[in-house]
Amino acid sequence: MDGVQRQMTNLARQASPGNQTSPVISLEGTELADLSSESVIISDPHGVIQYWNAASEVLYGWPALAMIGRHLGEIGSRERAGIDYIDALLREGRWDGIVFRRSVTGAEVVAVVRQVVRRDAAGVVRDIVEFGRDATPLTETEYLRMDAELQGSLAASWELDTSAARPMLDAIAENGRNGAPVDLNLRPDWVDGLLTATRILAVNDRAVRMFGAHAGHEQMIGQPIGTFWPAESRIVLAELIEQVASGRSQLETRRMVLSGAIRNPIVRVWHSAGPKPPGTLLVTINGAVSDYRTSWELQASEERYRRLIQNLPTALWQVDSRRAGEAFDALKARGVRDIASYLSRTPDLVEHAKDIVRVTDVNRDAMSLFRAQNPAELIKPVRYLFAAAPGLAERVMVAHFEGRRNLIEETRIRAFDGSIIDVLFTVTYPVPPEQLDNTFITIQDISERLNAERQLRKLQADFSHAGRIATLGELATSIAHEINQPLAAIVTNGETSLRWLARTDQNIEKVTQLTSRIVTNARRASEIIHRIRSMAAKHEPEKRLLDINEIAREALLFIRHDIDSKSITLSTTFAPGLPQVLGDRIQLQQVIINLLVNSVQAIVQSGQPTRRIDIQTSVDDGGAVGFSVFDNGPGIAATDLAHVFDSFFSTKDAGIGIGLAICQSIIGAHGGSISGANRPNGGAHFHFALPVPA
Amino acid sequence: MPAKDICLPKTPLVAIVDDDEAVREALSDLLLVLDVACRTFERAETFMAEFAPDRFDCLITDVSMPGRSGLELQERLRELGSSMPVIFITADTDPATRVRALKGGAYACLTKPVNDEVLFHLLQNAMDHAGRSRRNDGRGPTSDD
Repeated sequence: MDGVQRQMTNLARQASPGNQTSPVISLEGTELADLSSESVIISDPHGVIQYWNAASEVLYGWPALAMIGRHLGEIGSRERAGIDYIDALLREGRWDGIVFRRSVTGAEVVAVVRQVVRRDAAGVVRDIVEFGRDATPLTETEYLRMDAELQGSLAASWELDTSAARPMLDAIAENGRNGAPVDLNLRPDWVDGLLTATRILAVNDRAVRMFGAHAGHEQMIGQPIGTFWPAESRIVLAELIEQVASGRSQLETRRMVLSGAIRNPIVRVWHSAGPKPPGTLLVTINGAVSDYRTSWELQASEERYRRLIQNLPTALWQVDSRRAGEAFDALKARGVRDIASYLSRTPDLVEHAKDIVRVTDVNRDAMSLFRAQNPAELIKPVRYLFAAAPGLAERVMVAHFEGRRNLIEETRIRAFDGSIIDVLFTVTYPVPPEQLDNTFITIQDISERLNAERQLRKLQADFSHAGRIATLGELATSIAHEINQPLAAIVTNGETSLRWLARTDQNIEKVTQLTSRIVTNARRASEIIHRIRSMAAKHEPEKRLLDINEIAREALLFIRHDIDSKSITLSTTFAPGLPQVLGDRIQLQQVIINLLVNSVQAIVQSGQPTRRIDIQTSVDDGGAVGFSVFDNGPGIAATDLAHVFDSFFSTKDAGIGIGLAICQSIIGAHGGSISGANRPNGGAHFHFALPVPA
Repeated sequence: MPAKDICLPKTPLVAIVDDDEAVREALSDLLLVLDVACRTFERAETFMAEFAPDRFDCLITDVSMPGRSGLELQERLRELGSSMPVIFITADTDPATRVRALKGGAYACLTKPVNDEVLFHLLQNAMDHAGRSRRNDGRGPTSDD
């Protein structure tokens, strides 16, 4: 607790001794209050008097009988007579200050009162209890100061040291004496000078919260008041300081302009009494907070809330984006609707927003995520949040402008040690009646998850690679045949050429033809080897737009000979004009090859005399591109249907059972689906479908 | 394409069956330079459509092809009573295939790529053999030596 607050609390105690906590009084049981030497008045929430004790009769002269049922305001003498600060009262749960009333004789009674709101269990206002003491003997200055100090405990309070501003104050006074008074409205340099020279000695929590100091007490003490004072009322404060510090006034009260949390704020500046060094000023700002949550709820819940936030296992930022909100309102008023294109035309606005929108609070996890030593490093304009996330600030603004509730994005941050971290960035915008200064940002470190995903992808790639190698092994004969064909042709063509050249009737034309065939076949062999090498190579899956018909034709290269040599009749029905799919060429070929290998092996095992495999491509009902393999083998045993895609499930003696598991994992990684079923007239049908990119 | 077969007994004719076009072309060109007439077929079925006893003096075929395989083709020819020599040319190095071919009465079983000298030599022998048996056939049933 800082000096100002302590002092003010003490004053409040003096004003209503023994009532630091609300006494429990009910209308039925007011005997104790009857004995009180302090005036006790109970009124309903509208100010209609319900109870009036003996001390009230003494203080105001009015008997209880005359007052019960009347309105407190009816005995007022000046502006403040009853429950004039009902907003503040309901908000804070109590109000302390000076009221002016008329006694039964017509004389003015100045009373120091504390008004307390009592609520029922449901939080509904039951009544208002007022404790009062006579302040009539005090001079006007004295009671005004007392009033200010009483209300100071409910206000944002500052204790300022103007000693360093003394030369300026003297200069202003000198100018005034010389008939050339300084008009601070015209001299922003003087305003800046005064507010820079005036240093903060103490602030209360409310001032810290309201003025955003965004930095906490420690960062405010010793700083110029100008650093924290809202720009729109700097002149007001400078004038007040000048008037009070120069001794021309004991207490100055002024309405001020203040954007944001407070409506109709009133600022008071006065000389500190007592042992404080000269030049010490007290400043309070009172006013109704823009939202109607009452203080007692607020205080209790705020404590819980801060603890909760501090200990949340997610890095959390509380951001005051009202300045951006105001800018948006202005844009909307000017008819801007498409904010995204507006921002792209005026990138300066985004940059500006990064500076005016400030972080107001962070929790522990936020500190450790950004590798910060203390919260103050994070409590500043939001710019640092976007250092490694191009375009994010713009998208955050668009979402805010469009009144969305959330924005969630995977992006990156740059921590203060320079490391770049993959994160999930979530913004939750306030929606009335929530406090509009509370935009929440949570940032979740997902680098471990992404890392795990990367490892999983690598594992999947390794797994499918192992599967490819195994399949290539099984298809070695078929593949050797494919390479051997062009090689055989080359050798024969070469030998034929040599024979032509050795003959007396050399046939150059024929030799030319043979040589070009050699070239063609050599190319063909080389192409086949290239395909095999791709199939055998370990590679990071690479998604491209592919034609599934082409993939299927290429896949057949590896297995055609195997199919032929086992006297299986292969028919292909390639649907024309299929849309392209996004996928990895090698992996999709691998799936097709695996499905065909399975069919071939099933057919061979079955000993079927006529052996058939049909492959088909198609567009499925949902628009996906489909690939089917039909065989007339033995089909899938009913008990195996559910397990065919399990790893290490195999019905083959020598099978290790990863072929279909790999197919499923590859098709899954492509966002597609794969299924196996029995055909009505025998044999199996395997089908996979791949989504067509939008 | 080699000249049309006009069935002169002195002009031996070889049939080549291979599904691979490059191999087919290469073999037919080789036979051309060796002055051996030939006809090429893509599949066993198309060959059988043109087959007639004594029409071809020798058959050169691949083992595995879409549809009827080379081995099945040989079996079919034997069923039809043809003694035409069959030379297999295959990329398949599996000894079982070779054994099956030879057991089925193959004249030879060569592995791709073939050596032209070896093929030429085999062809000559095969056709001599075929010519002899055809002459024998022509002279009527059996004749010793």
